[in-house]
Amino acid sequence: MAALESPQPATATAMRHAFGNVLSVLILVLIGVLAFSIRLFSVIKYESVIHEFDPYFNYRVTQFLSKNGIYEFWNWFDDRTWYPLGRVIGGTVYPGLTLTAGTIWWVLNSLNIPLSVETVCVFTAPVFSAFASWATYLLTKEVKGSGAGLAAAALLAMVPSYISRSVAGSYDNEAVAIFALIFTFYLYIKTLNTGSLFYATLNALAYFYMVCSWGGYTFIINLIPMHVLLCIVTGRYSPRLYIAYAPLVVLGTLLAALVPVVGFNAVLTSEHFASFLVFIIIHVVALVYYIKGILTPKMFKVAVTLVVSIGMVVCLIVVAILVALVASSPTGGWSGRSLSLLDPTYASKYIPIIASVSEHQPPTWPSYFMDINVLAFLVPAGIIACFSPLSDSSSFVVLYIVMSVYFSGVMVRLMLVLAPAACIMSGIALSQAFDVFTGSIKYQLGGSSNSADDAEDTNNAPKDDAAAGKTDKGEETVKERSSKKGKKKEREPVEKPSIKSKIKKKALVLPLEASIVALLLLIMLGAFYVIHCVWAAAEAYSAPSIVLTSQSRDGLHVFDDFRESYAWLSHNTDVDDKVASWWDYGYQTTAMANRTVIVDNNTWNNTHIATVGTAMSSPEKAAWEIFNSLDVKYVLVVFGGLIGYPSDDINKFLWMVRIGGGVFPHIKEADYLRDGQYRIDSEATPTMLNCLMYKLSYYRFVETDGKGYDRVRRTEIGKKNFKLTHFEEVFTSHHWMVRIYKLKPARNRIRGKAKKLKSKTSSGWSSKSAKKNPWI
Amino acid sequence: MRSTMAVKSKLVSLLFLIATLSSAFAASFSDSDSDSDLVNELVSLRSATESGVIHLDDHGISKFLTSVSTPRPYSLLVFFDATQLHSKSELRLPELRREFGIVSASFLANNNGSDGTKLFFCEIEFSRSQSSFQLFGVNALPHIRLVSPSISNLRDESGQMDQSDYSRLAESMAEFVEQRTKLKVGPIQRPPLLSKSQIGFIVALIAIATPFVIKRILKGETLLHDRRLWLSGAIFIYFFSVAGTMHNIIRKMPMFLQDRNDPNKLVFFYQGSGMQLGAEGFAVGFLYTVVGLLLAFVTNVLVRVKNLNAQRLIMLLALFISFWAVKKVVYLDNWKTGYGIHPYWPSSWR
Repeated sequence: MAALESPQPATATAMRHAFGNVLSVLILVLIGVLAFSIRLFSVIKYESVIHEFDPYFNYRVTQFLSKNGIYEFWNWFDDRTWYPLGRVIGGTVYPGLTLTAGTIWWVLNSLNIPLSVETVCVFTAPVFSAFASWATYLLTKEVKGSGAGLAAAALLAMVPSYISRSVAGSYDNEAVAIFALIFTFYLYIKTLNTGSLFYATLNALAYFYMVCSWGGYTFIINLIPMHVLLCIVTGRYSPRLYIAYAPLVVLGTLLAALVPVVGFNAVLTSEHFASFLVFIIIHVVALVYYIKGILTPKMFKVAVTLVVSIGMVVCLIVVAILVALVASSPTGGWSGRSLSLLDPTYASKYIPIIASVSEHQPPTWPSYFMDINVLAFLVPAGIIACFSPLSDSSSFVVLYIVMSVYFSGVMVRLMLVLAPAACIMSGIALSQAFDVFTGSIKYQLGGSSNSADDAEDTNNAPKDDAAAGKTDKGEETVKERSSKKGKKKEREPVEKPSIKSKIKKKALVLPLEASIVALLLLIMLGAFYVIHCVWAAAEAYSAPSIVLTSQSRDGLHVFDDFRESYAWLSHNTDVDDKVASWWDYGYQTTAMANRTVIVDNNTWNNTHIATVGTAMSSPEKAAWEIFNSLDVKYVLVVFGGLIGYPSDDINKFLWMVRIGGGVFPHIKEADYLRDGQYRIDSEATPTMLNCLMYKLSYYRFVETDGKGYDRVRRTEIGKKNFKLTHFEEVFTSHHWMVRIYKLKPARNRIRGKAKKLKSKTSSGWSSKSAKKNPWI
Repeated sequence: MRSTMAVKSKLVSLLFLIATLSSAFAASFSDSDSDSDLVNELVSLRSATESGVIHLDDHGISKFLTSVSTPRPYSLLVFFDATQLHSKSELRLPELRREFGIVSASFLANNNGSDGTKLFFCEIEFSRSQSSFQLFGVNALPHIRLVSPSISNLRDESGQMDQSDYSRLAESMAEFVEQRTKLKVGPIQRPPLLSKSQIGFIVALIAIATPFVIKRILKGETLLHDRRLWLSGAIFIYFFSVAGTMHNIIRKMPMFLQDRNDPNKLVFFYQGSGMQLGAEGFAVGFLYTVVGLLLAFVTNVLVRVKNLNAQRLIMLLALFISFWAVKKVVYLDNWKTGYGIHPYWPSSWR
């Protein structure tokens, strides 16, 4: 490296490089530690526990894997869920996370480090966040040099959006998927910059890991073809582009088809068609370039018409086939979630189950401030920095940020995909700004004019080093190898004549005091970012939602009702009893209580969920019939009215009605609303007051305070004293958050009815009621 | 709105009353034959129109509604229209009328059998049938009324479609109809945006244009090769998204609201993080974007300016604006979400 530069201060530069490298490694280690430790608030503030809903399922699967081995796991049919259908876990789950954690557990155990599966699961996400920030460093370094890389890695280590999905205990697919996503992009860029088949193969493998981990892999398989197309259209085609793309499509698709949950979807669904189309286009273009190379310009003109016409015919045929395929499936071959990205109003109109999930809502501006904070300010500067000069790799990150920011505008959960892009862009912007400001200060304080000259010289020196003749690549190599200090000047096009550079150099400074102020402001901005991230990690995103706490004047209150009731279920009910609840609590019930559930968070069967929704919205008797037909023994409802826990079943109830009504039209949302308003007080509609959810939630509620005041809805409930005819209360947790009811057996109910009959009519009730009763 | 519907012609209504009485008298002797005649006539009237919405006047109303004894063999869904009010955009009459036609056409397309003669879609125009408006007691538009077979008093407003029933246009209208008449409307069939010949024309145009486009791409002289276009496009999409515009589109948020307490005051900022107004989004999106743009301007353009004082002045201005923008956003965010973001100092520092 040093040899490339002017020979005189060779040893000095070598020393500086070595020092810089050591410092970079040290900084990267610190960034890794930061990324890991900022995610431990949840363990410190609560305990080492798995969070929320989906992670419980993943945890259960990992337990199964570690107990029974990979083959058992692959063929696992789970009869504890979706009763009576069951679920083929091995074929319907993205196995990446489970296999990763299982492998970590297995390695640790063979090293005689006896960690429990739960501990490994809890800490997988923080560990992978550290990996993700290192991958960000690599990616950004490929694009704009190591200074920007370090800045981006540090930003990513604590970006709140990513923290929200990767705190300790948040054992979900996204935890490893974001690392896989960034790493795949890095390898793509690396292949694009080097043109090496080795990296291309690694890229396909990284893509395979991503496919294993998360459904979001479709983002990759659409973004990369888009970039390739962009490069072709803007005349940036090169053999490196071909090497970066063609192996990825072929190997990547083959590998993706190996994952059971993807399988033939990898070639059959519309999400993947863009990659095949671009695959054909790049071959046509490659052919054109090849012919251009072997023919004289005149011959080429003749040939180009020929090739273009043939290529167009082929393209048209393929497009026609694709259109036919797409048209033959009802949703156009797109899954509902993808469709709602293309047509943002799609889900809210047609699929309530997708629209009902809060993370599928479109975000408002505070969401951006909450999730990427001051990066939102820096990104435009990063975009502009990527355009001066525009290279293959920088155009890729621009495309990445544009696509992800658009998609995040449609669905708030895709903020997670935006976060790495925003970090990369802000890292580039910050690095450039620091270069300019510190450069100006250094230049004006004097004494460093010599080294500035050196740095300037390096710009032109290693130009012939790049193997490929393309200038973009030449710039890239320069960027990687030159010292941080010289970077400022490299922002200018390399082709600048050296005479001009002398004049330019003098002009390329800003006033001293203004630079110092700017620097201070940037540091303040960074400090604010750190404060915000730490706050977000500590306060906003660390709650496990399985244990709740509230701070009041008389100290800390802990609400551990969920685990209390799941433990009750597992101790007091029969192993084969079926428990019905809204789907949110399905995973937790199977994982913690080990009881069979009707529906769970893997919302694959809309009809089944609608059945439960219908039961919850029906009057007691009809609900009893539905539940009885499903062999349900216990019904579990979550109720927050006593302590003011807002995400309880009454607040989710309208979605149950909507989803139920979507399949069973006799449930109508309008029947539950008074003048379009959802209310549970005395103004509520009779349908609302008589539905099962209302009754199970508010049964005996009036006994708590005598008035039945609901703290979530902030009103007194409409119907206070009522008795249950078909259900009996068996368990209510300490703070009334979870209430479990048992379905009364049919015989009991007859006796109740019979007594009434008996009191009314004195004679011969038994034969009469036996005839009338449909339960016998 | 209500005042526009003034009572105008007493004479007509008197005549009408007589006509009604006499026809009611006649109708009492009616039998199933005349019923099927009426249905046939309605069917033929319907087939004469494009979307199946029958245009009724005062005469038609008396013939098909008032003079027929209950229960009638059909229901009528009547849309009350007034051409003179089409210009008032807040009433959305033309739009609702179009949607009404779509529901009618869908009903026709989905019900070929006997159910097709149980419900007819009709419209009454105010300027030509004022007395019918009076007869129905309609004095405010938009008004859509279902006249069930058993209704004899047309002033009975039980069949009126609520505002919520046409809020989602054709879909909710169809739900209303299905709910009240127990007839199946079936899937709403909207006319495609482009007709077949238009699509064919566009495809042909694209096919012809492609060779020329490809030629220009190969030469490298299209708009696509202009970096500034890409740059501004990227920045614009960024601005568009961080401003939460998608939220405004999906939720159909207005640009601003009127203050409830003081109608002259406009509310531009909505407190509470789940919702935002249009103007609010654009304002903050602008603040988000402007800081980055200024930073890029300083680091890319300003460094090349030779005049030191100009540099100093512009830079300080840019710094001031950026500082103000960040401060404003932080303030607005705290105000809107109510979060108290605070640092964690070591306890010994306190």
